[in-house]
Amino acid sequence: MAAETAQEFEALERQAQVVMSVFTKAGHEAVAPAVIQPADVFLDCVGEALRARTYVFTDPDGAELCLRPDVTVPTCRLHIARYADPSRPAKYCYNGSAFRFQPQGASDAHPREFRQAGIERFGDTSRESAESDTIAVIIRAIEAAGLKSWSLRLGDLGLFRAVLAGYEIPARWQKRLGEAFWRPDMFRAELKRLTTAPGAAAAKLPVELIKSLQPSNKAESEAAVAAYLEAANIELVGTRTLTEMTEHLLDQVADLGAKPLDASAARLIESYVAVAAPAKQAGGTIATLINGASGGTGAALDAYDRRLALVANAGIDLDRVTFSAEFGRNLEYYTGLVFEVSAPGFGSDSPIAGGGRYDALMRAAGAACDVPAVGGAIHTERLLRAVKGGAK
Amino acid sequence: MSDKLILAIPSKGRLMEQTTELFAKAGLAVKKVGHARGYRGEIEGIPGIEVAFVSSSEIAAALKSGSVQLGITGEDLIQESMSDAAMRVTFLSKLGFGFADVVVAVPACWIDVATVADLEAIAMPFRRAHGRWPRVATKYMNLTRRFFAASGFGDYRIVESLGATEGTPAAGTAELIVDITTTGETLRANGLKILEDGIILKSEANLIASNVAQWTPAMTAARAELVQKLTK
Repeated sequence: MAAETAQEFEALERQAQVVMSVFTKAGHEAVAPAVIQPADVFLDCVGEALRARTYVFTDPDGAELCLRPDVTVPTCRLHIARYADPSRPAKYCYNGSAFRFQPQGASDAHPREFRQAGIERFGDTSRESAESDTIAVIIRAIEAAGLKSWSLRLGDLGLFRAVLAGYEIPARWQKRLGEAFWRPDMFRAELKRLTTAPGAAAAKLPVELIKSLQPSNKAESEAAVAAYLEAANIELVGTRTLTEMTEHLLDQVADLGAKPLDASAARLIESYVAVAAPAKQAGGTIATLINGASGGTGAALDAYDRRLALVANAGIDLDRVTFSAEFGRNLEYYTGLVFEVSAPGFGSDSPIAGGGRYDALMRAAGAACDVPAVGGAIHTERLLRAVKGGAK
Repeated sequence: MSDKLILAIPSKGRLMEQTTELFAKAGLAVKKVGHARGYRGEIEGIPGIEVAFVSSSEIAAALKSGSVQLGITGEDLIQESMSDAAMRVTFLSKLGFGFADVVVAVPACWIDVATVADLEAIAMPFRRAHGRWPRVATKYMNLTRRFFAASGFGDYRIVESLGATEGTPAAGTAELIVDITTTGETLRANGLKILEDGIILKSEANLIASNVAQWTPAMTAARAELVQKLTK
């Protein structure tokens, strides 16, 4: 943006007016959260991966601050600051700068400073209806700005959890797989471990320690761990407590005697992750795929169908919509629906807009409880170039 | 006069002593120019080289920017200070001193944690119990990020530590550390152990050329002469 001409600036401003008027007409209040934010909120919310791309600095008082890498977290903080009860429903929209370090060097497609125009919807318990509304408002804004040719990709992390719940998999393994889903490599490694040698980690533990642990009795197990450490002359160091260690040890020891994950279940999980289909067919594909499972995906699949019907009702042509089960990985704060709008000529790493559901973010940003939250944002420089017919 | 290449060597500490020994063994005497506390010198017998005495971490920065042609410093400092080291510098020769491993170390009492995969397994329960991700104290922020990213571990937060890093878990300001160690003795004394797959880098002092510095034919010739004498 350093080399932005007056003409480009005017064009972006005009586009922003069009986009923001769509947002405000849809009932979103325009807000302008602070550009400079406390660094730790972002780091705790989004993890170290985004920190590596965040401009963090120390002010003269020694406070660690950052230039906001997105506008969603600042909007959450604004909402929390306004209302004592963060679950109070609210709809916001914004148009403002965000900043990201580009490890490969800044470029037109990946500028270090860009303007995001977006909407957030907090405290709305209507789930699929709030989600389809959000998608529809973003698409309407993009079309109002002049982009006619776009495609929409959906993902659904809730569906993945439901697929897992459909099999006879120990709860601790479901939790592990759900957490590992964010990182494809680790996910594959975990699936392999569970199907081949679930007890490998525990097998390395000292035999006398394993014998002294009692899965049904946490307190006695904890005493046994304390006795083991004392006998081995290992000092208790750090903030992680004996209780935490014991709980993890009990999980590990439970894996020692566990029957490996059924290979056919592992294959089905892998086939689910590989599903990429037109949105209208994906529900059926998944239903067929998990037919053998003992159930549990019904509600999640119903939610998927309901959301799709609502998206169609909002006037969006479903032929332009695809579903990808794997989509949503590496976007850490999302918890359910994820979506992304692309334009011809723009690579998969340069979406025009994106968003989804992030029910855990509000609490991570400082709210006292979880708050249902769904939102989406437009990369406005990309949108402008897409409208003008420029690619990349 | 600008046709002399600049060789940056450590200005203090063990690395400086060992560098001087290395040159002496190769029959090269490094002499300071001007007063004894100066920062410039020359190598007797190789007139095409001017020596700059610089602190180790500044040597990495000078090689990165190309303000010197050659430097002697640890690979850890090079890898930490540039994400594109392979493009910016060329490692000419390992020098056989300054050995240090950059490692991931956790409290020895974490008997349930032996690998990076175990760290991933405890991160979420830790967050549930403490309301934050485990903190990693280090001065090697970039090496740490790259290593954990390559291992698929992301649920942590770095706290920068510029000294006494190995004491941070006991002090309660971090849960684990990434630091250098030679024998592991300091880590053990602080109740820490190295993860089985937690060796990030086996570092030693290197003679390093900057790829982005200006190189004239005379400088290239002086460099060849130095390498030949140091490695014969």
